[in-house]
Amino acid sequence: MKRATLGVLAATALVAAGAGVPARAADQTAKIGIPVGLSGANSVVAPSVVQAAQLAAAEINAHGGILGRKVELAVADDGSGADGAVKAFTSLIFQDHVNAIITMETSAARNAGLPVVARGKVPFIYTSYYEGRSCSPYLFVDAWVPDQQVASIVDYFMKEKGAKTFFLAGSDYAFGRGMLEYTRKYITAHGGKVLDEEYLPMDASDWTSVISKIRADKPDALITSTAGGAPNVTLTKQLRAAGVKVLFGNLAVDEGTAKAIGADAAGVYISQSYLTTIDSPENKAFIAGLDKMFGDKVKTPNDLSEPEYDGIYLYKAAVEKAHSFDTKAVLAALPHVSFTGARGAITMDHQHHAPLTMYLGQVQPDGSVKVIKTFPHVDPGNQCPKLKS
Amino acid sequence: MIGLLLDVATTAAILFVVAAGLLITFGVLKIINFAHGGFLTVGGYAALVVTQAGGSPWLAAPAAFVAGVVLGAAVERVIVRPLYSRPLDAILATWGLGIVIVQLITLAFGRGTNFVPSPVSGAVAAFGTDYSAWRLIMLVVAVLLAAALAALLQGTRLGLEARAVIMNEELAQGLGIDSTRVRFVTFALGAGLAAFAGALITPLLSVDPLMGVPWLLNAFMLVLVSGTSLASLGLASLLLGGAQVVISTYGNPVLGALSIVVLAAVLLRIRPAGFARG
Amino acid sequence: MARTPLLRGGVAVAIAAALVLAAPLALDQYAISILIRSFLFGAIAVTVDILWGYCGVLSFGQATYFGIGAYAFGLAVTQIGLSPGVALGALAAGCAVSALVAWLIAWLGFGPRVTPLYISVITLVEAVIFVQLIYSGGDFTGSSSGLSGFDTFDVSMEGWFRIAGLFLLAAVVLGAILVRSDAGRLLVAIRENEQRCRYCGIATARVKGVLLAGAAVIAALAGYAYAGYTDVIAPDLGNFQFGTELVIWVALGGRGTLYGPAAAAVLIDYASAYLGGTLPFIWQLIVGLVFIVVIVLMPQGIGPAVASLARRRPRAVAPPALATVADAEVGGDAAKPAIAVAGLSRHYGSLRVLDGIDFTARAGELVSLVGPNGAGKTTLIRCLSDGAERSGGSVAIEGTPIGRAAPEACVRLGLGRKFQAPNVFETLTVADALRIARARQERLSPWRRAQSIALPAAARLVLQATGLEDALATEVRHLSHGAKQALELAMVLAMQPRVLLLDEPTAGLTKGERTLIGGILTDLVRRHGLCILLVEHDLEFVREISSRIIVLHQGRILLDGSVAEVTGSELVRSIYTGTPEPAAA
Repeated sequence: MKRATLGVLAATALVAAGAGVPARAADQTAKIGIPVGLSGANSVVAPSVVQAAQLAAAEINAHGGILGRKVELAVADDGSGADGAVKAFTSLIFQDHVNAIITMETSAARNAGLPVVARGKVPFIYTSYYEGRSCSPYLFVDAWVPDQQVASIVDYFMKEKGAKTFFLAGSDYAFGRGMLEYTRKYITAHGGKVLDEEYLPMDASDWTSVISKIRADKPDALITSTAGGAPNVTLTKQLRAAGVKVLFGNLAVDEGTAKAIGADAAGVYISQSYLTTIDSPENKAFIAGLDKMFGDKVKTPNDLSEPEYDGIYLYKAAVEKAHSFDTKAVLAALPHVSFTGARGAITMDHQHHAPLTMYLGQVQPDGSVKVIKTFPHVDPGNQCPKLKS
Repeated sequence: MIGLLLDVATTAAILFVVAAGLLITFGVLKIINFAHGGFLTVGGYAALVVTQAGGSPWLAAPAAFVAGVVLGAAVERVIVRPLYSRPLDAILATWGLGIVIVQLITLAFGRGTNFVPSPVSGAVAAFGTDYSAWRLIMLVVAVLLAAALAALLQGTRLGLEARAVIMNEELAQGLGIDSTRVRFVTFALGAGLAAFAGALITPLLSVDPLMGVPWLLNAFMLVLVSGTSLASLGLASLLLGGAQVVISTYGNPVLGALSIVVLAAVLLRIRPAGFARG
Repeated sequence: MARTPLLRGGVAVAIAAALVLAAPLALDQYAISILIRSFLFGAIAVTVDILWGYCGVLSFGQATYFGIGAYAFGLAVTQIGLSPGVALGALAAGCAVSALVAWLIAWLGFGPRVTPLYISVITLVEAVIFVQLIYSGGDFTGSSSGLSGFDTFDVSMEGWFRIAGLFLLAAVVLGAILVRSDAGRLLVAIRENEQRCRYCGIATARVKGVLLAGAAVIAALAGYAYAGYTDVIAPDLGNFQFGTELVIWVALGGRGTLYGPAAAAVLIDYASAYLGGTLPFIWQLIVGLVFIVVIVLMPQGIGPAVASLARRRPRAVAPPALATVADAEVGGDAAKPAIAVAGLSRHYGSLRVLDGIDFTARAGELVSLVGPNGAGKTTLIRCLSDGAERSGGSVAIEGTPIGRAAPEACVRLGLGRKFQAPNVFETLTVADALRIARARQERLSPWRRAQSIALPAAARLVLQATGLEDALATEVRHLSHGAKQALELAMVLAMQPRVLLLDEPTAGLTKGERTLIGGILTDLVRRHGLCILLVEHDLEFVREISSRIIVLHQGRILLDGSVAEVTGSELVRSIYTGTPEPAAA
């Protein structure tokens, strides 16, 4: 038995030695690492994120690259979780030697990746909306936080629809709780009343008790923040099946999911920094670019994929401003560069976060999202007071 | 109050329908089929395929049943039967099968959430309150399913043989009952019922590759406390499902979601036979 | 054990340790970083293998203890800050909480008469609850996002590699020592036949509980190291998906081999770091398919299949020497009856198998229990040796009521039970089986093999008479039916009981052997003052050796008298002629 153990160890060492001699490609290309949830909770949205990145890279390369270097993407699956993220970040930073990490991930994956980023010392642009207050010298965020999103829906419900009482429901995880806790504070601070705040486990599919409480409480408005994908669908379906017809704001549904739910989602209010229906030349060019590049394989762009596109351009701008790929120089330049993409002009100058234009939309019976109101240049608030810029 | 009673009754009905296939497999083959969640998912996707092809949503569940029976028959023949003498390995193999089913569905249909139109929608007035029409239908389905299974077990030759195998397999074999055939038919039927249930819950849920997972553990626990009896399963669904609804409504929904597994675990410690007589 | 294998083992371990220490010099950073976690996972796979492969306890919960260990470190450092005291305190807390949770799980899962499957389900539940608790923990646990970026040990990647590598090596070596020891044989015995172990007076639920707690502590240590190394804690470190992955690795590597699961965990985790990142779905599909194929076609796993190609037959182990222990001064308290039964009944639903049984038996008596099939003889034996069996009435052994006591507790009162069908350990050797029977008298060492087994003279006589003495190194499954019967009898005698319940001890033996065993039994009664209750069909044999006979018919005592009274009874004769039956059923 011991001999076998030895043999295994020797074999392992051989495999490790053989596999572990990567070429240092970083000198010829600008290598961007994209750890993303190809499997797990984010697997639905991940392909659209990768496409957005591929479009940005192709465009940049067609125009001479970054400081003359071609952009090369390295995609790795993080399993949408912490454990997979450690693997993915380690592989990208220490094996592929990427120049930067630019990606959309779950909060768990981001948190798990941060220590690896700190060890490997690379810039990390996070392109997913999240519950806020994640701070690191290496981390920049070009997507929204609760401070930017919640206000638009709550203000609209209170001022335009006269809502006074609210019911909050969500999935029991960091994003769900983070969003609803902020929402509760915001509602209370503005004179509204939260009747109940209910959470179900992330993978729960039976909302019976929550719906019973909503029916009993009779709130003016319902605001939900569930895990993406299935819980959004099951909650919406079961609400409709139970005949609940209350003012309904969903903080966590994206345009694509709303579209797929179709008639059951009709009337739901959502608030996003990106909608496919934004009427701007940049958005038209972005969508046309995707269509041209991917044809019938194109994934509908969304509020999680467009920021990835912006993120890569923001990195390009920072490198060019710094005239260097050196991490320190790039980090110093990042707060001071701007890029105008489909969501408008983005600058990550507020404690590593960016002021954004937010769109309040309502899902139509055909699944499309109609923009009700636009809130320009919404401030992200105090996300990381300890960071200087 | 009426609302709460309806919640309890319909929750119990859904749990009963979801766990019934697992129960009959457990009764006859004495193995817990870990691929049950996978079979549920197959049923959900069968419903998706039928409705996308233009079929009536009412056809979804019968079609899913057929798909489940065919799949179950193949699985019994290829994977379960060779492991007849190694029940624990059979359980593990069905576990692996569950993984494979989910991955195959992912490869074929993608990872996204899908939607199956509901045969009926919205709420209807019932017992003096508005209540989800589909949940009320599930109540009827559960009662019909229980009656059909009882008739099958009590009134047919196959049912008689199955009951004999449940009670004492060696004795049944001694009496000339072809237990291999009984096991084969039962497993296929169990898989069919799982897929049938998977299609029936689609009006309330999204169809995605992992749709079976949240149901799996609750179904296990219900079957473990029910032993091999349909009546016990009905009782267990009602009591534990009722506890889930009550705890979720008056307590904490996170605790409520765990209540079935926790209560069943404690019950089994105190009374290993669970709700079954013994 | 001979000197050479020990030496060889030592050299192999030294070389492996040297390799672990030197490997970071040859490997690049990425390989090192991946192997650190693979090594830690390998160590947990070893614990899963000891639990499942050796002891038959299929647990999906080892991942949860890994998670608990990781959270102990992460939470302590996040809440209090890093200092040597906090680090040590967190280590102790992580291990203690894991052990306590495991103990609770063992209490739930190893309860009396729960199905073996139940522990697997309970460990699944455990993992689900762990994740929900973490999710509900808000800022304290970081919910689904987990916590990261806390201060951690100032250890280089190479340092962690060496720590993790040596940890895995230690797990394998200690595991190997345990499973080859006498206590390790007990684990296999429990897997093979837990009932027999309990009737050897071994509290198997406690043994499994200790094992589960020990395995939990090792997993917690691995989790602690993992959190220290990655600087991250998250719910997926403890979820049941990880728990099932561990089980899959163990099954693929070869359960019950230790090296197989360790190698499978390291290789598969390492490979998935390279392949899983680019092809996650195909990768999982392949793992799932391979898992099914291995379970169906290669239940022993890939490790042993590969190893059997490379290796000769396993070394034959020299059988231990037999020694004789001085017979204990048995006889007990003669004032109290050895067995006192009052109003005992047993019914299944409305079916009354035993009803109103009253009798006493004293030390120095050999009482035979006769009666036609279905009279309730075996049920009566069961009711005397397991407090949970009877429906009503009382049983006292040497004056102590057994109450609802489990078999192992009844055995401690001085009871020994031989089953009707031979009830032994199929994959153990004869010597190991005897040693397990002696476990209560001579503690089983968790780290070595005893060189000799001391047996009471009566047990040795049975071994001699049936030729088993020359078959000590033979695995029990190779024995004939009669030899198994004799082995079980020898095992029961080895326990030096004062009250002996024997259910057809000589069925399947030759005429000569029966006579010999009859002699041994009467000798035990007369010279050593034992009380024997014997179930027999062979009335000839009964007449020869009994001091008293009890006739059981349709669940009631029909007659209780001397040999002459019973054999002369018209009633008994009519029952036997009315329902004739073969002498040895």
